[in-house]
Amino acid sequence: MSANPWLATGNFYTTYKQEQKTFFTNLDRSVFTFFLVILYAWPLLFPLGNKYMLIVDNILIAIVAVMGLNLVTGFAGLISIGHAAFVGIGAYTIASFCRTIGDSHILITHLWPLLIIFSGLVGAVFGAIVGLPALRLKHLYLAIATLSFQMIFEWTIQFMSFFNQGQTIFVGRVFWFTGKVGRKDHYVFWYFVILTFVVLLGFGIRNLLKTRYGRSLIAVRDNDRAADAMGMNPGLTKVYAFALSGFFAGVAGALHAYVYRGVGFESFTLHESIGYLAMAIVGGLGTLNGSFWGPVAIKFLDLQVERLAETAGQYLPAGMNLATALKPLTFGLVIVLFLMFEPRGIANWWRIVKSYMKMWPFRY
Amino acid sequence: MKNKTVLFLNALLVLAVMLAFTTTANAGGKVYKIGMSLAITGPTSDAGNPYAKGTEDYFKFVNDTKMLGDDTIDCTIRDDQYKTEVTKRNFEDYLDQGIVMYLNYSTGSTLGLKRDFEEEQIAVLPASYHSGNLIDSNYIFLPIVSYGEQLVILGEYVAKHHKGGKAKVALFVHPSAFGRGPVADVKKAIEAGLNLELVEVVEHGKDLDNTAMLKRLMSKNIQYVISQTVQSPVATMLKDSSRLGLSASSFGEAGKLTFLGAHYTGGNDLIALAGNAAENFFWTTSFNITSVPGEGTEKQLALAKKYGRDQKAAESHNYAAGIYVAQVVTETIKRAKEAGLEINKKNLYETLNKMNGTNAYQAYSAVGPVTYSKTDRTGVDMAQIYSVQTGVFKKVGEPIQSEYMK
Repeated sequence: MSANPWLATGNFYTTYKQEQKTFFTNLDRSVFTFFLVILYAWPLLFPLGNKYMLIVDNILIAIVAVMGLNLVTGFAGLISIGHAAFVGIGAYTIASFCRTIGDSHILITHLWPLLIIFSGLVGAVFGAIVGLPALRLKHLYLAIATLSFQMIFEWTIQFMSFFNQGQTIFVGRVFWFTGKVGRKDHYVFWYFVILTFVVLLGFGIRNLLKTRYGRSLIAVRDNDRAADAMGMNPGLTKVYAFALSGFFAGVAGALHAYVYRGVGFESFTLHESIGYLAMAIVGGLGTLNGSFWGPVAIKFLDLQVERLAETAGQYLPAGMNLATALKPLTFGLVIVLFLMFEPRGIANWWRIVKSYMKMWPFRY
Repeated sequence: MKNKTVLFLNALLVLAVMLAFTTTANAGGKVYKIGMSLAITGPTSDAGNPYAKGTEDYFKFVNDTKMLGDDTIDCTIRDDQYKTEVTKRNFEDYLDQGIVMYLNYSTGSTLGLKRDFEEEQIAVLPASYHSGNLIDSNYIFLPIVSYGEQLVILGEYVAKHHKGGKAKVALFVHPSAFGRGPVADVKKAIEAGLNLELVEVVEHGKDLDNTAMLKRLMSKNIQYVISQTVQSPVATMLKDSSRLGLSASSFGEAGKLTFLGAHYTGGNDLIALAGNAAENFFWTTSFNITSVPGEGTEKQLALAKKYGRDQKAAESHNYAAGIYVAQVVTETIKRAKEAGLEINKKNLYETLNKMNGTNAYQAYSAVGPVTYSKTDRTGVDMAQIYSVQTGVFKKVGEPIQSEYMK
């Protein structure tokens, strides 16, 4: 290791373990800790209105979901275009509890952290089941298999009266140590909860990628036959990639249910699945920080285009419905531009900025 | 000297910029904030767009003509793209702004935000006439008779005018709570004695051809198809029926199909979509329509003209519906002011609940008086049946109330 724990002036690794450290220097660790403190402190110092806190919460939930999608599509190379359905599985797990035991039952209102994790596990089970075709299918064929899961999910929710035929199933207000979380604090409270999940799950992925299980994901993505020859089990790896992805999606869905205090079908449609995929692509497939950049970029773009479409909608002829076309047009254009000019996503820009900062001021 | 001039000019510039960004103060009057969230883009925006324009124009008219004295209404209208998530965001934004009443749009978002309305104790007028909005809710006020009641009114009309035995009917509904909800009301009315036989309930998809469905209905000797959906699937069905020679040329023609529909199935847009196939389509709503001229429609057209709306928007029944909710809001504020009450959520809610009996309000856009109370959450309790005759909707009788929904 470097003699100076604050500034590395070269590569002094002597073991693989050292190379796999999360923070290479004390400075890295301090900057990260400082950033984390800011993330936790800013809502208390600069309180936002409920509208903006809801947007922030929504972005964080998308980050959790996209981290899952990145595991299966980015790291394991298995295309999934039914990710919103997995998110829906998590949300409808909470909704099922509400329908069965009542939305104000103590399990819903007090033991919500356990329920969120349980929803993740249910998502993992469904992920593993949907992942089974991955043993036989690849590429586009696998994508179609995940699409069919999306269709089955949508049909089931829309036609089963247990799920209120897709209409909102309410979720009760939760309790914290300070008592019931009321309207005023609702979105700030969930900001802290979701942020905690993002941090924990982010570290989870970071650490997973250092293990043989994480490396096997990448090995199978790059060449599953070679991975097989190296003693890995590509089939099992693919199924567990889907299960892991399902877990993240399930957690995101449960968080969505609690933040919106209700579960409705329209948040988990194919359109949302495409949205998650777009976030992963724009952020950078196969990178952890891409899972953060993508949702932030796409959600902000969404907001801006929404405003533009709204303004255009006031002036453009209603019959032609041109304003409606603006959103999908912009959305599609951004994805195409990223695929053409920056297929490695925003994460690559981040890498470039980091490299530049390493050189300045004379890091090495 | 030169520096002083530059300093003076800079100061002048700063002052000008400050003035430019200073909100125009409303001399002496109060500003009442109202929020509206609806689909200006996305699904159903063909209805939401004129609806928004109606509301916007009427509130402009209220402010321009000083209907509330020096006080003005500031209604922010936001697009929600027919998505509950976006509606919720808009609603939270409006609450942050301090709205005193809220205007919503879709059935899904009205049901989805019901608890928020209860918690905030804010009166809400949606564009959804789904009776389920009223379950477990104290703050949602249906503007006009529910979809269920509209279908039962059409059913009663069929039962009354059908020649022969019991009329065989099919319901053609949207695959959502909006479409499915009223089916139960029709079934209840039949159980209560409405002389109809409900043979089939069809949940339409995104079919571009209804031949198979229409042939099936014919094979079951169905004579009447009552729709609870939006205009485009109805237009597709009407065109297919016309092409197949299955459409009745007059109400209840034996061996043919007579088509009827609730509020969102009809209007001028249906005629534009279906053309001649819309002929003899029976439609019910609680709003006046411009093809049946009257005092209300003249005012509607004058309002549209005043604010430069095109003919399509001006003649839309959704434009009338938008005017209607703005009229109710304005009247509620006016009455609260006259009673010396502070204009806030609570007082407007209570004032709205007193809008009944001799205090009923006659909005020019509607066919009957607006009545609300703690037990009556439906504004206009009657509906008018119209039918397409020579390319325009004409009145069929006078506004009626349902016998079986009382």
